[in-house]
Amino acid sequence: MKRLFLILALCAPIYAADPVEADFYKITTFETPKETALEVGSIDLLPDGKLIMGTRRGEIWIVSGAGSSDTSNVSYKLFASGLHEVLGIAYNPKDKNIYATTRYEITRLKDVDGDGRADVFDNFCDHWGVSGDYHEYAIGSHFDKAGDLWVTLCLTGSFNSNAEFRGWALRIKPDGKMVPTCSGIRSPGGLGFDADGETYYCDNQGPWHGSCTLQHLVPGSFQGHPGGNIWYDKAPNMGPRPIDPLPEAFSNGRNRKDKTPHVDPDRMVTERERIKQLLPPAVYLVHGKIGNSASAIICDLSAGKFGPFSKQLFVADQSHSNLSRVFLETVNGIKQGVVIPFRSGFASGLIGGRMDEEGRVFVGGSDRGWGARGGKPFCFEKCEWTGKTPFEVHEMRAKPDGFELTFTQPIDSTTASDVKSYSMREFTYAYREEYGGDEVSEIIPKITAAKVAEDGKSVRLTISPLTKGHIHELHLDGVKNTEGQTLLHKVGYYTLNEIPAK
Amino acid sequence: MFRPLLALLLAATTLSAAETAVLSLKTMTAQMKYDTPELLVQPGQPVQLTFENGDDLPHNLVFCQPGTDTAAMAMKQMENAEVALKRNWLPDDPRIWAHSKMLNPHEKETLTFTAPEKPGTYPYVCTFPGHALTMRGELKVMKAGEGLKDLHFALYLGNWKQLPDFSKLKPHREGKIDSNLIEVKLDDYKNEFGVVFTGKLNAPKKGPYRFFISSDDGSRLLIDGKEVVAYDGIHPAGDIKEKSIPLEQGEHEFRLEYFQGAANIQLYAAWKGNDFQITSLSKWLHPNWKGGTKKQKEFDPIPLAVTTEPVIYRNFIQGAGNRGIGVGYPGGINLAWSAESMNLALIWRGAFIDASKHWNSRGGGHQPPLGYDVLQPTGEVTPAFFVTDKPDAAWPTWDKTKRYSGFAWQGYSLDAKRSPTFRYTWHNAEIEESFAVEGNGNKPDGNGKLIRTIKVSGKLPPNAWYRLASGQFEAKDGSFLIKGVKPFTITAAGVQMAGANLVIPAKPGTMAITYQWIQ
Repeated sequence: MKRLFLILALCAPIYAADPVEADFYKITTFETPKETALEVGSIDLLPDGKLIMGTRRGEIWIVSGAGSSDTSNVSYKLFASGLHEVLGIAYNPKDKNIYATTRYEITRLKDVDGDGRADVFDNFCDHWGVSGDYHEYAIGSHFDKAGDLWVTLCLTGSFNSNAEFRGWALRIKPDGKMVPTCSGIRSPGGLGFDADGETYYCDNQGPWHGSCTLQHLVPGSFQGHPGGNIWYDKAPNMGPRPIDPLPEAFSNGRNRKDKTPHVDPDRMVTERERIKQLLPPAVYLVHGKIGNSASAIICDLSAGKFGPFSKQLFVADQSHSNLSRVFLETVNGIKQGVVIPFRSGFASGLIGGRMDEEGRVFVGGSDRGWGARGGKPFCFEKCEWTGKTPFEVHEMRAKPDGFELTFTQPIDSTTASDVKSYSMREFTYAYREEYGGDEVSEIIPKITAAKVAEDGKSVRLTISPLTKGHIHELHLDGVKNTEGQTLLHKVGYYTLNEIPAK
Repeated sequence: MFRPLLALLLAATTLSAAETAVLSLKTMTAQMKYDTPELLVQPGQPVQLTFENGDDLPHNLVFCQPGTDTAAMAMKQMENAEVALKRNWLPDDPRIWAHSKMLNPHEKETLTFTAPEKPGTYPYVCTFPGHALTMRGELKVMKAGEGLKDLHFALYLGNWKQLPDFSKLKPHREGKIDSNLIEVKLDDYKNEFGVVFTGKLNAPKKGPYRFFISSDDGSRLLIDGKEVVAYDGIHPAGDIKEKSIPLEQGEHEFRLEYFQGAANIQLYAAWKGNDFQITSLSKWLHPNWKGGTKKQKEFDPIPLAVTTEPVIYRNFIQGAGNRGIGVGYPGGINLAWSAESMNLALIWRGAFIDASKHWNSRGGGHQPPLGYDVLQPTGEVTPAFFVTDKPDAAWPTWDKTKRYSGFAWQGYSLDAKRSPTFRYTWHNAEIEESFAVEGNGNKPDGNGKLIRTIKVSGKLPPNAWYRLASGQFEAKDGSFLIKGVKPFTITAAGVQMAGANLVIPAKPGTMAITYQWIQ
């Protein structure tokens, strides 16, 4: 195999010119303890460079030496076992305890006798319901700026909420008090914070969700799936229950499958007008293209140690075994932005993830239940920047008449100013109860201008029309850097919830 | 002029000879598998296949030519995901010869197609991204084998626990079976008889042949006078026994011996060759082999071993509600505590628990204890503490949609031996509950004991009672035996029978309860 690779490399120099993801971001696969299936569900950082990991089999492991470039330095110590699927783990620097989110409770674990194994398992918060359905996962966050933990609760199955607060995002205050914070959750996959400390979660394609999404958890908001809204009477802080989406729109004998392009009432953008609490997804993680099963959300706070994408978000996917990159901005008070493929080729379905201060992204997961491209049943891996900067779209911002793009490297003004270097397609998903859905209401806009800035680092695209509520799929096949290379990833999907006034 | 017509007639005859194969296949809920890893049809046979999506994800069913690398085929779609998405994840691949639509969760579609003429193994797969590695199976196209010829039966009367030596007995009645299918069809005898079936079986060529039998009660198959496989004794038709033997080309003497004790009468026999599929020789088809189609088995067990210290397993445990905490103690004594009812939910001995239901696939559903002598001391997921002026009245029962009011779960602490003490509050009282084991639950010596200590501090409401157990009890040597649950006695100071409840008036202090396996 090695020899074959060598021969290919020698006689086909042409391939060397085409950069690949691995040139810029290296994946290291760790050996894991033989006595268990280390199906990583959650990862947090401990002081002195150690990691703490919760698994789907209910174990909590302390990992030392994972940051080292020599993988033989990695060692594992079992801190606790027997918990019910640990899909959230958080180290609290204030009390030095570990907080594990499990199916029906957040457990606070202490090692009182100091032998390296937990011996006190306090119930920190268990004020939500569980019925035994497989779907009723609970995903937990790390501690936020205020010292709160967040929990997102999957519905009972895809449609209903048969136990209290299923389909909700909750905040748990430092005293263990639970604050119902957002409704409308369907099947959450991960929780994370942006550089400003705002909270996001990933939801999965299914009823009311044509695609996986990255959603902004604004307290008081309704995130789109009405199945859990029966619990509003137990959450007086949330105000009145939102009106349900769709049924009113489909009165008068109109069938949900009837197609009337552009005036369909089953659109997020239309329903936002009627349902004041409804918050549209910040970014559609376009189904089948970006992923099928969005999970961990990782913010780059390494100030350049993970490459040029400081403060951007990285979203993992279980089914595609990949990481995608998200740039967000706020327009008219609402989060929106672009998702761009980033790194594929992880060994199993990714579920948990965390970046350390040195810009190393630790990820892990399993393919259990849904299958994953990686091919391995479970994995624990590290993704690091090699120090080489890929040629990528850096940021993509909405403008009143188009988009502004910046790049990680100086661009070739000839190709970047040629409108033929770009193509765009706009589409959306129906906002309706049926499972999943097609890309609908397609519009092919005209790219009327591509103006390169004087500093040669950004491009201003003029697009006609922009469509509020649509995903704007931009291809940049012809754009080159000053060295004549094309982009490592030539596509981005911008969710245009709002069109800025200026 | 006549020739084409003749050919047409022949073709029609052949077609009508092969009955339509009516098959069903379902996607299993939350397992990323079809329920049927193998389908069997005959060459050119019309097939009517009902495909049902029992899962919460979209799935399809795509049949391919033999030798197709279905996972690679499905994966290849990702090279142009946009096109694939438009095709609803049906690969554009000439090796696909039949397929369903992409079914939404809980949709159903009936496919009708003609099985390929060429015998072989045709893989089927779900081509939705990421599914192909596990959601797959094989359609086996094989002709059917020949049946029996010249089948006769001989009926014998007798009360046996095992097959007798029929050669030394005189038949009560004999006759020919025109259908040439093995069948026990007697109007006058329901119990206590035996039947010997004899006939001829033609091996189309020299080679190995596999024989299958199952019966209620015993049976034995002989070919050319030699025993091939036996399933003797009194039993239901649970297993299928099978064995492969070499046969020369040509006719062989077939002999199937059977006896019936009482109750159910069932007899199954089949055979299979290298170039023909499993062919039933009996009219009755064993449920596991009906139509020759195998259904998916459950997961391989993952029993949790308890060695030197207690093992904790928090999960959905059957009988312990949705917030169950299983504890397996060294010495074969186990319990499940409920953080829902704040009470001991189950006690059992022997092996602890099998984690395979929760550690495979998506982890839903309730798992029963793996051991035996399972005792649910009180009603399912019911609290021990209750305020009542009539302790013989009914205790609260479990409402799955609500939590018990007045109770708050605090958690548990492990002692130096890593044995848990459970903590909770009830109104203004704080309760700690710990367990110790003595003896060995696996040994039938009557010394296996679970000692439960309940420490109550703080203030209890008036008329508070503590219930140890519910059921019918028999006082015996200072202990209580639960009627109908023989192996246990329950012993505690101050305990009294109150109707169907075994109770103690609750007060601050310590209560000790001993659950003992008496055999």
